[in-house]
Amino acid sequence: MTRSASISLIIALLGAALCAQQPAPSPESLLQHAIALHQSGDLDGAIRAYREYLAAVPDSVQARSNLGAALARTGRYDEAIAEYDRALLKSPDNPALLLNLGLAYYKMGRHAEAAARFERAVSVSPQFKEQVTLLLAVCYNNLGRYKEAVALLAPLEKDKAGDPGFDYLYGTALTGDGQEAAGTTVINRILSLGDSAEARLLRGTLELSAHDRDKARLDLEKAVALNPRLAGAHARLGELLLTEGDSERARDAFIQELAIDPEDFTSNLNMGVLAKQDQDYAAARRYFDRALKARPNDPGVRYQLANVDLATGNLDPARLALEALIAESPNFAEAHATLSTVYYRLKRGSDGDRERAVSEKLMGQRDTLQTGAKTR
Amino acid sequence: MKRWWAAAALCVAGAWWLAAGGAEPETRQPHFTDIAHKSNFAYRTDNNFTGRKYFPQTMCGGVAAFDFDNDGLMDLFFTNGAKLPELEKTDSRFYNCLLRNRGGGTFEDVTARAGLLGKDIGFSFGVAVGDYDNDGYEDLFICNAGPNTLYHNNGDGTFTDVTERSGITKPKDVLSVAAAWFDYDNDGKLDLIVSNYTVWTPQTDKICAVNGLEYYCHPKVYPSVAHRLYHNLGNGRFEDVTDSSGFGKELGKGMGIAIADFNGDGYMDVFVANDTVRNFLFINQKNGTFKESGYEWGVAYDDSGNAHSSMGADAKDYDNDGWPDLFYNNLKGQIWGLFRNIDGKYMNYTSGMSHVSHLSSHSSGWSNGFIDYNNDGWKDLYSSNGDVDNMGETSRQPDTMFENVDGKEFRDVSAQLGPDFSRAGFQRGSAFVDLNNDGFPDLVVTSLDEKPRIMINSADNGNHWLLVNTIGRRSNRDGIGAALKLTTVSGRTLYNHVTTSDGFMSSSDKRVHFGLGAEKAIRSLEIRWPSGIVQVLKKVKADQILTVTEPER
Repeated sequence: MTRSASISLIIALLGAALCAQQPAPSPESLLQHAIALHQSGDLDGAIRAYREYLAAVPDSVQARSNLGAALARTGRYDEAIAEYDRALLKSPDNPALLLNLGLAYYKMGRHAEAAARFERAVSVSPQFKEQVTLLLAVCYNNLGRYKEAVALLAPLEKDKAGDPGFDYLYGTALTGDGQEAAGTTVINRILSLGDSAEARLLRGTLELSAHDRDKARLDLEKAVALNPRLAGAHARLGELLLTEGDSERARDAFIQELAIDPEDFTSNLNMGVLAKQDQDYAAARRYFDRALKARPNDPGVRYQLANVDLATGNLDPARLALEALIAESPNFAEAHATLSTVYYRLKRGSDGDRERAVSEKLMGQRDTLQTGAKTR
Repeated sequence: MKRWWAAAALCVAGAWWLAAGGAEPETRQPHFTDIAHKSNFAYRTDNNFTGRKYFPQTMCGGVAAFDFDNDGLMDLFFTNGAKLPELEKTDSRFYNCLLRNRGGGTFEDVTARAGLLGKDIGFSFGVAVGDYDNDGYEDLFICNAGPNTLYHNNGDGTFTDVTERSGITKPKDVLSVAAAWFDYDNDGKLDLIVSNYTVWTPQTDKICAVNGLEYYCHPKVYPSVAHRLYHNLGNGRFEDVTDSSGFGKELGKGMGIAIADFNGDGYMDVFVANDTVRNFLFINQKNGTFKESGYEWGVAYDDSGNAHSSMGADAKDYDNDGWPDLFYNNLKGQIWGLFRNIDGKYMNYTSGMSHVSHLSSHSSGWSNGFIDYNNDGWKDLYSSNGDVDNMGETSRQPDTMFENVDGKEFRDVSAQLGPDFSRAGFQRGSAFVDLNNDGFPDLVVTSLDEKPRIMINSADNGNHWLLVNTIGRRSNRDGIGAALKLTTVSGRTLYNHVTTSDGFMSSSDKRVHFGLGAEKAIRSLEIRWPSGIVQVLKKVKADQILTVTEPER
């Protein structure tokens, strides 16, 4: 089973469960009519009817929630989210609403918002945990929160090991978290069912982390050959190509990834970096902004944006961004270094000296920790 | 003689043209032809690689281009490795080499006669040329794994090792890789900056391997050290002023050195490219001290705050705006750094806008520099390339030449410069030098385990030029540090300065080179000497080697 098929199945099952939890019919006929249309599959009719009812009874949480569900089923996620949000104003701890809202965000690829709603739903009603675990794990993987994904999935391994969908999800979390041994076990489990793009991608990811570029190239190119639409494969190949200095092919790989998933964090970040290298700062900003949408508040992206500000002479925005970054991440050595340059440019010499000293200390500590040799 | 050289170059170029299948040669595109095979010399760059990978083996084959006998023809000097782990030049294959330019495209090996074999100096790296005693003969400083070596040119074709009496010493086991002569206090005597890499001996060499395959260790496994500054006291004596000057506070892994007056205050500053450590820019405070200002100037890191494996370095004005810019190269997968000097205040990272980012990321660069190879008045970017290690199909690499397009961007013309230029290898040192005095810069490049290439520029695009040989009187005799501004009759202004230091481990032709494009006449040539004296020459003819002596005042 492919990753997307597996996730579709999860969503379908969860969606059915959530539909079954729709509130009981209202005594009001209009609402009854809307629900009947909804249940019969006449979504456009249901949407019109719900809206008609809500014009008369705007505070109905049930009708607004149903309207959101109908809109979501027609793919109008922005509108669905707006309706769910309005319903939540009236019923902030409604777990079904939170789940539906999370699903809408999930379907839009807005994993940070989706994860927040799923987490909130589970905290309000722990019985929902089982229903959202896999979705939440997908969100965590996409957000680079691999440790949290592993923590969610590890307890399920005993029962679900061998399910290709689960194994791929869990393998992604383990490889992302750099757990080589456990990741390899899962990859081998997937490979025992035959060669697959998913297994190749996971193994290539591990190999890339271990700087074994030759093996990583073989696996990642095979992954792309086996399934050119596999999310993440082009992006990972692009990362490999960047380490080899092949920025042109890397750029092509990231563009292919973005054609599959326009919100892909890795591809947006790296396309931003490449655009910044080309000193096409407007394009760099666009990519970085999209990367931030995928992983809001990501310090690496914010740092890159601050560098764009510095390069374009926007010293005060750069300073503010970097000051905020180091307040949150005091050990971010590069941010201290860049802030030092910004302060010098602003003629704040003593501040520059201070940041420079901090940067050098942090980089020195980091070098000390890197005791092992590695190839260049 | 000039005519003969041109004929020889045409001959060789013709042979290449036939071999290539009769393609029409580019008439306006100079190319390079290796003439090393025409001379009888034994030198090969020998790092004694026999399977065991010792850290310094990656850095071997420094080059110097200088006229040691003042006959008007530039000669060549090469450094060499040593037997490891003995760290001794146990036999002739490790000797350094001095080639006397006989003219006519041949060289004579005069190393033994000159006393420059270097039998006692172990594994050698960089070489710096400068007339430190102002006697009119160029001297040599050699960077070694063991003690460094200062050779005094006796003026009779021989050199004497004067290291001991010079007072030039360094901390034990420090690995020195490159050096540059410059007069930091403008007292008329050349001082010396030495780029040090780490503390290393064969006994402390680390072994790095994965799956039983040995590779050269990452630099981070070795400690950083201070670069050293030596003040010329006169009478052949030097004082180590590393600590009092401020150099001692900064620990790096030094590679190439670029000398220039970056802020236009009349005092020479020092850029040191560091390997995997931030780069240093030492701004001269005009009182015998320097302030490391890499952060302030924006050259410590790339534009993402990353330190790379910076290798060679050069500082020249690539956009003809009057301010020396900066170019360093680094390894494959990284991006070579090109920085534009903004009015002597700071540098802007321009690798992207200039297309250097695209062009450079496939190559592992070592020595490098600005060179106007086609005499169009725009300085191009040269790099000698080759991986650190021999770990893959692309480890052997060809050199690259990125041609400067109107001072704004660069385009890769490497493939158009002939098969000798494009020969893949583990290239290391390089020097720019006009070996046949035809006004077009030639190239001398070393490669690990190979004879050096002595590549003559075909000089066939009809562009005009000027070479200026400065002789200081109040300033140091070489005129190192003198800033030159040339204005053509059309009003075009070109800038350069006197230095022998560029790239990595290497020393280039001291004479200041200007390409003039189609212009045959020069309205004025202004020389700002390190003494502060400003000399202006009017109506200078193009296509000549002009010797200019500093006036009394």
